[in-house]
Amino acid sequence: MKKKLLAIMLTAAMAVTTITACGGNTGSSTGGSDATQNVSNPNAKYNVGVCQLVQHPALDAATEGFTAALRDSLGEDVNITIQNAAGDSATCATITNTFVSDGVDLIMANATPALQAAVSSTGDIPIVGTSVTDYATALELDSWNGKTGINVTGTSDLAPLAEQAAMLKDIFPASTYKNVGILYCAAEANSKYQAEEITKELTEMGYAVSDYTFSDTNDVAAVTTNACQNCDVIYIPTDNTAASCTETIDSVARPAGVPIVAGEEGICKVCGTVTLSINYYDIGYAAGEMAVQILKDGKDPKDMEIGFAKNVTKEFNPEICSALGITVPDDYKEIAKD
Amino acid sequence: MDITSLFAALPGNIAQGIIWGVMALGVYLTFRVLNIADLTVDGSFATGGAVTVVLITNGVPVPVAILVAVLAGALAGLCTGILHTVLGIPDILAGILSQIALYSINLDIMSGCANMAVNVMKYKLLLSLRNVPGAILVSLIFVVVIIALMYWYLGTEQGSALRSTGNNPAMSRAQGININMMKVIALSLSNALVALSGGLIAQYQGFADINMGRGAIVIGLAAVIIGEVIGNAIFKKKMNFVLRLSFVVIGAIIYYIVIGIVLWLHMPTNDLKLFTAIIVAIFLAVPYLKGTANNSFRKAAKRGAGK
Amino acid sequence: MIRANDIHKTFNPGTINEKVALNGVTLELNDGEFVTVIGGNGAGKSTFLNALAGVWPVDSGSIEIDGVNVTGLSEHKRAKYLGRVFQDPMTGTAADMEIIENLALANRRGKNRGLSWGVTKNEKEEYYELLKELDLGLEERMTAKVGLLSGGQRQALTLLMATLQKPKVLLLDEHTAALDPKTAKTVLETTDRIVSNHKLTTLMVTHNMKDAINHGNRLIMMNEGKIILNISGEEKKNLTVKDLLQKFEEVSGEEFTTDKAILGG
Repeated sequence: MKKKLLAIMLTAAMAVTTITACGGNTGSSTGGSDATQNVSNPNAKYNVGVCQLVQHPALDAATEGFTAALRDSLGEDVNITIQNAAGDSATCATITNTFVSDGVDLIMANATPALQAAVSSTGDIPIVGTSVTDYATALELDSWNGKTGINVTGTSDLAPLAEQAAMLKDIFPASTYKNVGILYCAAEANSKYQAEEITKELTEMGYAVSDYTFSDTNDVAAVTTNACQNCDVIYIPTDNTAASCTETIDSVARPAGVPIVAGEEGICKVCGTVTLSINYYDIGYAAGEMAVQILKDGKDPKDMEIGFAKNVTKEFNPEICSALGITVPDDYKEIAKD
Repeated sequence: MDITSLFAALPGNIAQGIIWGVMALGVYLTFRVLNIADLTVDGSFATGGAVTVVLITNGVPVPVAILVAVLAGALAGLCTGILHTVLGIPDILAGILSQIALYSINLDIMSGCANMAVNVMKYKLLLSLRNVPGAILVSLIFVVVIIALMYWYLGTEQGSALRSTGNNPAMSRAQGININMMKVIALSLSNALVALSGGLIAQYQGFADINMGRGAIVIGLAAVIIGEVIGNAIFKKKMNFVLRLSFVVIGAIIYYIVIGIVLWLHMPTNDLKLFTAIIVAIFLAVPYLKGTANNSFRKAAKRGAGK
Repeated sequence: MIRANDIHKTFNPGTINEKVALNGVTLELNDGEFVTVIGGNGAGKSTFLNALAGVWPVDSGSIEIDGVNVTGLSEHKRAKYLGRVFQDPMTGTAADMEIIENLALANRRGKNRGLSWGVTKNEKEEYYELLKELDLGLEERMTAKVGLLSGGQRQALTLLMATLQKPKVLLLDEHTAALDPKTAKTVLETTDRIVSNHKLTTLMVTHNMKDAINHGNRLIMMNEGKIILNISGEEKKNLTVKDLLQKFEEVSGEEFTTDKAILGG
């Protein structure tokens, strides 16, 4: 009986892990189809390790863009190993340590903790970051001249905040939309930085700006409700937690009739009216091109400037705009539905 | 899928395991000695990391920073202890309250930043991913010293009182032991160790993150339990206290080696926490089920039918 | 010397479960007196002992031990005056700790527990001799976990622990009730020996009338939270179970009821 019970429990546990393992695999294939990319090619000249903090559409797109750039230039000459830390910063360290002990030729770090772990793991192997907003803060650098000065370069996911503020002013003038609420997760360094920057811009334009921060996904609904009661328009920066709760935010904000300006396309698709979009695939691709320059042309990352998104597009969400009775100028592009 | 790459990564996993082992020793103190599952650790682990990083980046010498982190952890434990003993809040809930409060406090410690880097090139850190053998050595020294201290402390009059408090509170009161005081002391010591571990991990990985302690209690429990199972299997009844503590650390090392294997196999890491929870649940359930299996109504029915 | 003066205690006051457990208990024990306490279920015997031990504060009245008013002292602070043995053998000892560690814990009752060793070498020899006196072979198993001992062995050990530091008062709360008759007899004999050797002031609760008559030099009977009988001296020596039952009926106007076998033993 004792053995039977144990056996049943173990089988159940294994079944659960296997089932979820299958689910996980299909999920990650949208991120970077690692099933194919992780098959190592013994003849490949370069080995590249990708450490991605967590799976969500923006980071997945950046990884996808990165691998596409490598494939476009290096074809089968490169082996790409993609590892996902499942949101656990300690696992980032485990992953980057594995890359270093494997002797990869380059590490791509997708998101801030991944970059920090990579930098802690190696001072020699070139590191290319992406989806990192502010490299100087992430790496604790004293001076900043556009380059890190160490074995690190990459692309930033910072959407030009001045342009975003200008866009908000275009659609939601301060005369009728006086109070702006900035909604983000207090636990995300990048969001805090953006909130501070855009607050400066908006305050200069005559808005009354206040922050509405939640500490995790649990308080999103409550904080959003509070923001909707006190604000005429809400701005959400490129916040990972908000990005994973867009449905919740929409279900609160839309009935309340409060429009949302989103810092990135993924958020705007579900709950925003307009966005100035940088495309994570593009910054991932640009990071990939930098990786190619390092691997193939022997460029040194310390001499390479951090890249920013080149193309920003003004986009609008037709469904929410018409629901709230907002009309946008003709130069706004209709957001692509999935 | 080259086996050599698994072995090459092993030292890193071991280093990480030893550092988390320090935390697991803290968890042992509350979970096994005091008989309380203290959830404060999820918060105090990040507190240790946050305090260490903030102080180091502000020019405080690393040993001092670590010391302050340890004190901060002890303070966190003290708060949980007071919530539990003075205000009468059940232990689990007191831990949860501290944990939640620490989330905000940790953010405040890091001046509102969710993530703070400590640049290994700028400071003389005790240990870093840059130098894995060095990290193993340093963390090993910490573990040896801590185990020696724990062995000594739990053998003293006060330590004995602490053990009896966890074992039999009624008897302890009758023997004149202030069990509330003992609980507060144990919670403080435990969280001091947890914060120390957090401070070491932050240096090792080069940053403190507001989420770095999430699920720490489960990792700690996993280490304690895996270590016990393996230790008992090897040494049977010869397990003495030093071995018991050593196997807690070995449990943490095994946990991180397993994570290394999971990564090496390219298994989906999203399910790691579920995997951990299931392992812990199984090991916690086995002793109970062993008991009930020999003492179940179904068996009684069978016995009855047999006669 | 212990003096309880007009002790009152009501549990769950103001609720449907309100129960007046102690309704004005006054008792004084002189030094070296061995008093047995008897009474039916719910008479308040154990509650009275718990009041003396400070398990909870009393509603009114005062408790004095050796001239010190302890009414306001918590259980662990009062412990330095009291040795206690409980009904459940599990309660009095720490199962996961060694025999010698349990003794060492008890040896520091009422003392400041600092950072010197929990068990010193001298103690080991002392405990060896004391355990030998119990005649249970425990002296050869000093490093065994107490959880491995039988209920009788645990009670004997608890008794030793309670008297290691000579208590002002020894409180025995039906300490043989959970044991089989033979073991109970041995434990009672040990009790008598230890009490007389150390001339301990003792309060022993029992549900066994015979035991209450055969042990100690004074007997009190409780009913409905009050002491209804107090028999000592020659009267106690000549007492029989029959007398006791008769006296109970006289005083309380009802029949003595209890679900346990009170006559045998």
